[in-house]
Amino acid sequence: MKLKNLSIAGLRRGANNHRCISRKLGSYPYVALVMCLLMTTVFVQAEQDRDYMAVVNRPNLFHLLDLEDRRIVRTCELPASVAPGTVVMSPDKSVAYILGGRFDRLYGIAIDGCELVFDAQFSQGNVRNKSIASLAVSRDGSELYSIHNPVTIMNDHYQVSSPKFVVYSATDGIDAKPVRSYPAPRQVNILATGHDGQVYLSGPDVYAFDPRTGETSVAIASRNAQREGYGQPDILTVWPLGSVNEEFLRMYSVPKFSQPGAEPELLWGYERVDLVTGETSVKDFGPLEEVLFTGMLRPHHPDEFYGVLTQLKRHRVSTQSVIQGVDLERTYYCINFSTDGSTIYLGGTYNDIAIYDADTLESQGKIVLPGGDMSMSTPQVFSALPTLVGDTEG
Amino acid sequence: MKHLKPINKKAQLVDSAMQSTVSPTDELNEVVAMQTVVGCTGTTDPGWEVDAFGGVAGLCQPMESDLYGCADPCWWPAQVPDIMNTYPDWDKGAGSAGQDWRKLGEVFPGDKK
Repeated sequence: MKLKNLSIAGLRRGANNHRCISRKLGSYPYVALVMCLLMTTVFVQAEQDRDYMAVVNRPNLFHLLDLEDRRIVRTCELPASVAPGTVVMSPDKSVAYILGGRFDRLYGIAIDGCELVFDAQFSQGNVRNKSIASLAVSRDGSELYSIHNPVTIMNDHYQVSSPKFVVYSATDGIDAKPVRSYPAPRQVNILATGHDGQVYLSGPDVYAFDPRTGETSVAIASRNAQREGYGQPDILTVWPLGSVNEEFLRMYSVPKFSQPGAEPELLWGYERVDLVTGETSVKDFGPLEEVLFTGMLRPHHPDEFYGVLTQLKRHRVSTQSVIQGVDLERTYYCINFSTDGSTIYLGGTYNDIAIYDADTLESQGKIVLPGGDMSMSTPQVFSALPTLVGDTEG
Repeated sequence: MKHLKPINKKAQLVDSAMQSTVSPTDELNEVVAMQTVVGCTGTTDPGWEVDAFGGVAGLCQPMESDLYGCADPCWWPAQVPDIMNTYPDWDKGAGSAGQDWRKLGEVFPGDKK
């Protein structure tokens, strides 16, 4: 399902078409009008949003991909390493923000060209500030959020300090410095911003963090969960996926006991925050049969959950069952979907984006990226007008 | 438990935290927190071992596809150099682990950044 987004240029060109046809078919005004409407409709369809992907790979490359035509729109070089390669789009989709520089540098690149519009170096002097895939953008696009884990490098020892939630102004451009910071919970990795401005933090629990005051609360208890009959959930994530669904989501594996001392049932589940409403949920979605690294609810199919690592698995959440699974040619860390939920894109590890049909799990080909491994980078799917991203062939 | 003796540093910390007279829970949480993977000193995951089920089917395939994904965040500090902090040029000229793994060599103190 595509959002129809008209541009002024498109309407203007549509009007020109109308005048042109009218001149040629002047004695048949109604025919001219119908043909004009048809042409305008065709033109409007050409101006619809399209699905794109923003992704980085070694050694320092950023790529914008047209997912509908399955082609590379452009490739840009970044100043230094792209690891970890956490990509988050600005709300208007004009800028891709990338956590890189070996985990302590934040780039912003205008995707209609290759202009570097933001660059912040986290480590300063003898204070090393690493950030484990922590990146989010405020809903109005004016602020960027990250977590700094400071270590002061002394002559004879390292001094570890408490982590900080740091805020950058997106307009500070090159050599940006934090505009404010707050104490943050320990062990935080991925972030996401809700529509109400709260930032959700993945840590021992899922936290809701107010970036205006620094106030922190537990949104979803995880390490501290008290689910009757369940053991402690085990979670791995460094991939802030879910923007297509407006969700903050991380998977867990957990033992479930029918009675104390019994052999547990091992399950997969997810902790989820609806970024539109702030509603939270914790749901088991299937048996723990394979290791999976990332998973997502299928857009427009909230009862279907897909996960990936060396297998691609499709689950029915309501029955906690596996609908289908396929072995992959190789391992992929990351899953993502087209905005209409019809197509799956797998990325991470090597340098190709594998494309699968979401209904059949049949392979539909690959987009091979120039350059090296994506490693643990996060490919982001988003919808935008071709003109916005400088895609002249879209 | 009284017959078990801690034989490594972490076990000793757990043991002493549990015997704390101040706040055993808080002190034990501090030890648990050491398990987090932040930088190149927070994990002892040996890597390239068995999967969660005791087999190898759940491991990444091929191993090279997982190499940079585990090296970049220092998940495998024992097997590969600290590419996050100390040896950021270890993978220079070897962008594809699957194609270029022969170029990934040893590191020496003089290579430090």
